[in-house]
Amino acid sequence: MANGLVLYNYELDESCYKVRLALSLLGLEWQAVAVDVFPGKEHLSPPFLALNPLGRLPILRDGDLVLHGTEAIIAHLARAHDPSGKWLPAQAPEFAAVMQWLIFAAHDLGVTIAARRHSLFGPSGNEASLRAASSNAIRIMDDHMTARGFVQAEWFAAGHPTIADIALFPAFALSRDFGIDHDEYPALRRWARRFRALPGFKTMPGIPDYH
Amino acid sequence: MRLEDCWHPLGLSHSIEAGSSAGTRLLDRELVVWRDRSGIAHIWEDRCPHRGMKLSFGFVRGDHIACLYHGWQYNSGGHCQYIPAHPALDVPKTIKVPAYPVHERNGMIWATLSENPAAAPENDEPVVPLRSLYLGCSFDAAVEALSTCRLVPLASEAPVETVVSRVTNTLLAVSCAQDKLLIGIQVISKTRTALHLSLCGSAQRYQGAGQAHFNAWALQLRHAAEHVRATHAASDRDVA
Repeated sequence: MANGLVLYNYELDESCYKVRLALSLLGLEWQAVAVDVFPGKEHLSPPFLALNPLGRLPILRDGDLVLHGTEAIIAHLARAHDPSGKWLPAQAPEFAAVMQWLIFAAHDLGVTIAARRHSLFGPSGNEASLRAASSNAIRIMDDHMTARGFVQAEWFAAGHPTIADIALFPAFALSRDFGIDHDEYPALRRWARRFRALPGFKTMPGIPDYH
Repeated sequence: MRLEDCWHPLGLSHSIEAGSSAGTRLLDRELVVWRDRSGIAHIWEDRCPHRGMKLSFGFVRGDHIACLYHGWQYNSGGHCQYIPAHPALDVPKTIKVPAYPVHERNGMIWATLSENPAAAPENDEPVVPLRSLYLGCSFDAAVEALSTCRLVPLASEAPVETVVSRVTNTLLAVSCAQDKLLIGIQVISKTRTALHLSLCGSAQRYQGAGQAHFNAWALQLRHAAEHVRATHAASDRDVA
């Protein structure tokens, strides 16, 4: 049990997808344990609450370390398993930019997760207000990448892709699941095309294989 | 001149890279803008004739676009050429996606839905792309907001007169000292309008800091347009 990376995973969960993306883009090997979230609610059962008392996926086991919190997990993967140091840069300005966008992903993009859950899994939450908050958050991302384009920068936080790009990609790529089309976000469309071309990129249900 | 007979900008040229596609709307019609591998832009109805899937969800291969749903492939004339489920079939000529005339000028991709369109905008000056803005207001409200806007020139902080002129019904020029912005206006629907902004001049002059300067102005314009709308909504509530 102490060896290797184990991801407690639900295939339709975009937060689990962020971790699958990070594992794949970093070229790591891992074992996935399928969790019956819907309809089984297995993630709320005592064995899973023992791993994450918040009752949420993803959960990562790395040897003796057990971690929850999507952005913490991808930050750990980058720090512990990326010898290049590029996915989580150590230099102050790039590190700060990565942290800013990781926290944006964890906090402000939560509305996109709620909007998608509402669309796919049933009525909970106010659809109109979730959609308005989601399109506002996605527009903030598009404005940022528009400005990055003026200085020929292609990624959110550095001159190369970082875990910030990984944390931000699913909300945009899956936005059609909750009724937000890509029409009005030209800078994000171009960024998403570049992201899809990264070696090790993977899709999930809702993100087409072809592009 | 009816809006239906105009040429309409659907996006900045650089927003649609070769081998990619995007959906958009013009006068409430759903359109797909796509660029083939050789760089030629195409504007079609955004609907596969087979099952109605949006072609903008599809993928571009060479000079074809293929539907994501069942892979039907359409050539640059809009004719279906290949149906993967029936590889030997000689596809009937009647299976065709409506295609519209395309014109690229001022760093923008233009289309018309008219069979007798007005003259297309011409301009051979070099331009630098700025950005697109998507506003929750009508075409008239967007023109109104632009006609009273004030630009700050790149080179000086001193107040200089801003001159707004109508090049065509859907293209405005906003000039201030040495600087000139071209603004294409896209009528998405009665309540939604896009502005596509290009800077006249060389990349050497505007790339980077110049773009950032006029981007800040554009964001203020968007904020003002949205703030006016919020104020109107509040006063509507007061009346009710």
